[in-house]
Amino acid sequence: MALRTEELMLNMGPQHPSTHGVLRLVVTLDGENVMDVQPDIGYLHSSVEKMMEHRTYVQNVALVDRGMDYLIALNNEQAYCLAVEQLAGIATPDRARYIRVIFDELNRIASHLVWLGTWAIDLGATTVFLWCFREREMILDLFEKVTGGRLHHVYYRLGGVYADLPEGWVEQCGAFLDYFLTRVDEYETLLTKNPIFLARTKGVGTISRADAIAMGASGPVARASGVAYDVRKAAPYEVYDRMEFNVPVLTDGDCYARYLVRLAEMRESVRIVRQALLNLPAGEIRARVPMTMKAPRGEVYVHTESPRGDLGIHLVSDGGETPYRVKIRAPSFSNLYALTEMMKGWKIADVIAILGSIDIVLSDVDR
Amino acid sequence: MPLVTRAARAVTALATGLALSFRVMLRRKVTVKYPIDKVDVSNRFHGLLALPIDPETGKDLCIICFQCERICPDRCIHIEAEGKGKERVLTRFDIEMDKCCYCGYCVEVCPTEAIVFVPHYEASTYNRDQLLYNLDDLHRAAPKEPIARGIIGGRVP
Repeated sequence: MALRTEELMLNMGPQHPSTHGVLRLVVTLDGENVMDVQPDIGYLHSSVEKMMEHRTYVQNVALVDRGMDYLIALNNEQAYCLAVEQLAGIATPDRARYIRVIFDELNRIASHLVWLGTWAIDLGATTVFLWCFREREMILDLFEKVTGGRLHHVYYRLGGVYADLPEGWVEQCGAFLDYFLTRVDEYETLLTKNPIFLARTKGVGTISRADAIAMGASGPVARASGVAYDVRKAAPYEVYDRMEFNVPVLTDGDCYARYLVRLAEMRESVRIVRQALLNLPAGEIRARVPMTMKAPRGEVYVHTESPRGDLGIHLVSDGGETPYRVKIRAPSFSNLYALTEMMKGWKIADVIAILGSIDIVLSDVDR
Repeated sequence: MPLVTRAARAVTALATGLALSFRVMLRRKVTVKYPIDKVDVSNRFHGLLALPIDPETGKDLCIICFQCERICPDRCIHIEAEGKGKERVLTRFDIEMDKCCYCGYCVEVCPTEAIVFVPHYEASTYNRDQLLYNLDDLHRAAPKEPIARGIIGGRVP
């Protein structure tokens, strides 16, 4: 007797621990095989773009911190401050620009650590999760000593940074970097050659170079597919043009390649922070910008390399105290486009591995 | 790859990982028994807000300039005052701590260091009304002895 078979529609999320936030995936299954995936977003929509229209340019720094990607507050502040500074023609002192580069890169490491830990625990490697958060905690302590905040800093100001580095911080940061590199090796010992990890990730969720470009993927997702594009190299902002670093690029386009790219990026970030600490110039940290500044009429688009990819801010000003319109090009949102292409044809168990590997944060997707 | 080689590799990888985990187990612990032991926060920590009283005059340091109320991105500070000139006194200084985003703009713009951060972070209550801090609460929150006051007016402690 022939059994009747049919395709099954499965709702994964929005309350699912492995979707890393409130994402709903509508998965069409044929047995265990994934036929189609439709991501359904909007559960964490906070309307940050609209809210920015009702706050002054200075107040908005506190909003981009938590309204966008909450794990990379400093990178968000960087993109926003850069946009306003370009619009209003504010010159940032050299020391502030170096400090910003240091903090951008430390935040990149912290973000990649959260990604590595949560992805590893998705794949069953609990130890790596605990180790990653141990090191991240040290970065947050370094942040706290300077900015007063652990996740939401409000440290960057239009035309500089709020306060100078406290005494001894540069040495503490240097010591952390030395320590951190040995710990990255430990994560690699647990994961890189582990046969279980390899079976879950190698060759899984591939996306070709052409597809990655067509879908608008950026950041580590695109670089794992062979797209050698990094805003820090392509359009250097702050003092990235004075730094010496490589952009890790792999061509496999699978989960394993995305893992290797991010690990290599952490090591490159350590290199950048070291150079910035070494060449940190003395002097002013903040240009004189009034707390009630007005930007001249006009518009500007600025993009930066956030840990998740190409983070762009389009700012329109009508000459008032508040922005007329802000559009945020969120890297997580663009990377989510590529998800359907990656998941088709894989098993239901791989959905978790592939979703984790693109490193999305839902507050960045929905904004 | 023959099965024997694969099995040998798997066992090696497993043993390497377990050996490392065992070594890490013998290292110094980094965790803190939280409610019993507390974590030290830095002297720039954005904790709760407080209004210290001037020890010389016994009055508020606040000169009622409304700068903090104006800069607050979440509009959680509410100030009212009575009188004119030197007689002017604060009648209301409320901070809705449930709205506060701890950005520190109020501390930054204050010309007299009248509003400061204190390194306390345990503010949870069972009732949301208790998160509305009035003048008395803010005075009480201010420590008696001189403290590290966070980053004040762009100066660094």
